[in-house]
Amino acid sequence: MSNGFLGQPVNRRTFVQGSALATGAFFINTKFSRSMLADVPTSPFTTPWVQPLAFAPYKIPIPFGQQYSTPINEANFQRFDEFRPQKFYEVNVCETMHRAHPQLAFSPHSSYDGMCPGPTFMMRYGEPVFTRINNCMPSVVQGFGSCDVITHVHNGHHAPESDGGPWDLYNPGCCHDHHWPNIYAGGDELEAKGTLFYHDHCHDFTSQNVYRGMAGFFLLFDHRDSGNENDPNPDAFRLPSGVPDGKRVKNRYDIPLVFADRNYDANGMLTMDLMNMDGILGDKHLVNGRVQPYFEVERRKYRFRLLNSGISRYMDLWLSNGMAFQYLANDGNMITKPLTLQNVKLGVAERGDIVVDFSQLPASTTALYLVNRAEQTNGRGPTGNTLPMNQSHQLLKFIIRPETNVPDNSRVPTTLRALPAMDRPVVAERTWHLTRTNGMWTVNGNLFDQNRCDAACKIGTAEIWNFSTAGGWAHPMHNHCEEPRYLTYNGQPVAGTTHEARKDVHGMWPGESMSVYIKFRDWVGKYPMHCHNLIHEDHAMMVRWDIVP
Amino acid sequence: MIPKHPAAQETSPHVLTRRSLMGSMLVPAAALLLGGCSRALKAGSDGATSDERPLAAKGIEFPEGPGAQLVRADGTRVFRNHKLVDQDGRVAYFQDDLIEGRVFAATFQYAKCNGICGSMTARMAEAYDLLKPIMDKPVQFYAFSLASDAPADMKKFMVDHGIYGRPGWRFFSGSPEAIKDIRWAFGFGDPNEEVDSSLTGHTGMARFGHHKFDKWSACPALANPEQTAIAMVSLFPADQRPQIAGLCRPADIPSTKIPGYVPRAPLRANQL
Repeated sequence: MSNGFLGQPVNRRTFVQGSALATGAFFINTKFSRSMLADVPTSPFTTPWVQPLAFAPYKIPIPFGQQYSTPINEANFQRFDEFRPQKFYEVNVCETMHRAHPQLAFSPHSSYDGMCPGPTFMMRYGEPVFTRINNCMPSVVQGFGSCDVITHVHNGHHAPESDGGPWDLYNPGCCHDHHWPNIYAGGDELEAKGTLFYHDHCHDFTSQNVYRGMAGFFLLFDHRDSGNENDPNPDAFRLPSGVPDGKRVKNRYDIPLVFADRNYDANGMLTMDLMNMDGILGDKHLVNGRVQPYFEVERRKYRFRLLNSGISRYMDLWLSNGMAFQYLANDGNMITKPLTLQNVKLGVAERGDIVVDFSQLPASTTALYLVNRAEQTNGRGPTGNTLPMNQSHQLLKFIIRPETNVPDNSRVPTTLRALPAMDRPVVAERTWHLTRTNGMWTVNGNLFDQNRCDAACKIGTAEIWNFSTAGGWAHPMHNHCEEPRYLTYNGQPVAGTTHEARKDVHGMWPGESMSVYIKFRDWVGKYPMHCHNLIHEDHAMMVRWDIVP
Repeated sequence: MIPKHPAAQETSPHVLTRRSLMGSMLVPAAALLLGGCSRALKAGSDGATSDERPLAAKGIEFPEGPGAQLVRADGTRVFRNHKLVDQDGRVAYFQDDLIEGRVFAATFQYAKCNGICGSMTARMAEAYDLLKPIMDKPVQFYAFSLASDAPADMKKFMVDHGIYGRPGWRFFSGSPEAIKDIRWAFGFGDPNEEVDSSLTGHTGMARFGHHKFDKWSACPALANPEQTAIAMVSLFPADQRPQIAGLCRPADIPSTKIPGYVPRAPLRANQL
């Protein structure tokens, strides 16, 4: 049984330690009380900072055209010949035993290739790939999680047949093919994306499958964001580079960090409150699949790709000494010029790329913490209060190496990517009002129906979409395929803010509203737009919208 | 669009609550007494009632508060074993008779609702029709009364909506505390007492459960009945899923079988 990239060999002794309590020594494994609706069982104590930050290995492709278990029907895919795949990936979705901390037990997880998080896809624009994902799950899993799966690349500009929408789920023993052309939307280089991720999107069970481990990074590079801080190309950003590849961590300075919060029962087994309709908060904070790890850094610049994978928690990320950093990208999209910030707010599924310069620290500073200061008492959304630093959730410890004058050829350019022009005619303006009626999620007063198209958008045109929320709920809305540009946020102009950007998740905190400009390009077919509080998504907070010829 | 509850559009400052409705239903409540369902339940604030039947296994202690539930070491779930009565006056116990080993959809309604209950029932009836081959055995539909309806009223509601006598579909009433406990256990409680007790705003969600495998999901009872039926079928293990004609997901590309695939056994806590 694979233990993924945990780097902790499973032997009989550790297994017995982890599982003896869970095999029937007690009649009851977990108790749930709903009296407060923030009713998570208290997880066992875990000692922080005892395990290093872990990284998934790269997913290794083979040339397209070699071995396939079953033939590929090219006719199923739009513009297949135009973007003929160069590489072929094959992924197995399977169960694996994983533990997030040595003081917790090994629990069954759902995984990509036996890893939690899944392997890292390293992609380049202009290199179309083809991916086959085999469902090797058992026909049933006890408790949370589904044996059915479908994989969605979050913010991928992909045709609907390769998008991994919730209606495309498939059973164990079957595979599903994805054509990922890795093209700029509309052929516009300014539409380049960088930090994406993939996750399960099974209808009604997305939250359970993601909670059970089904997510991983999908990183896109091009000639500017080239992944090489020594790139001689004058157009290259030369940001801190080198994404860790499994245990290959040395001299790597481009660090993906996926945050998650989880709960564990008294036996240290992963547990999930399946009856919670509001949203789930965990009391254990995981980074790259481990509870409160540490990461040793040199005194130089690092790029961090921050991803809040949820499933319901909002984040307000700070460094514990309050030091500023350079903010580069919102939802993986480079902004026009770096912003100097002290904190990054992330709704569920939102991303933020930052550069932290540890060379600025005094020699006396030997450790720092990455903390979440967003106060949130239940799954409905954050309160809006900022926790004092000493009451914040500590996520990751940076251990600062003592050596000074560390070589560092990376830089943070003064300009990044301009925003794409709003050059398509606006042919419609739509309102998406999110609310709740009789405990049911509605958008514009309608319940979700996957057989009903709520917006038919003509390819080659653009529209203005206005989002608003009601009540004290937060809804990080996410639309597939196309990412809009913000026009206003809470009625205010976005110039000079983190919202002066393209976005695929509209992380609306309670009562917020926004107006966006969105184009429709390259593909036709149906796509979902949904709340990325995955509990809300699974309870049908979703609409279907189509791009039509 | 979701039909608005008429009471929700009234300008009267009075909010229709379960308590006020109870006051207007003394006569039906008396009829319920005569019907054999004891209403003299002593209820504690922790959601427990004295009318619970003890569960077979010993050593079960529920946490305090409504909606408490336990997960056994075998991964199955235990709720408080409330005494209930159905539309025909038959007594049933929640855990023993409605949960243990069952596959079901549950909604929360009341007989004199002028709002969404009629629409919910109509949509669930359409889902029932789609699921007919598996209704009763093994799938059950439960409706739980939010207003302590008398059996006669529940029966009338079912007759009026054309669902009385359908195999596997029952309407249950119980003490307010018992129904609240069940409602909260299924995730349909609200920390705001006024919201929680409002009948006009009662939940329109349906809870789906497969007890043996502890599979749980939910969707609006007012949803497209095909989606409701699919949600029901999705609870079954993939290799035991009933094949029902006309019930299919509109996938863009049909998935293909993996040649030579050998099914995997599920991992358990004690397995590496």
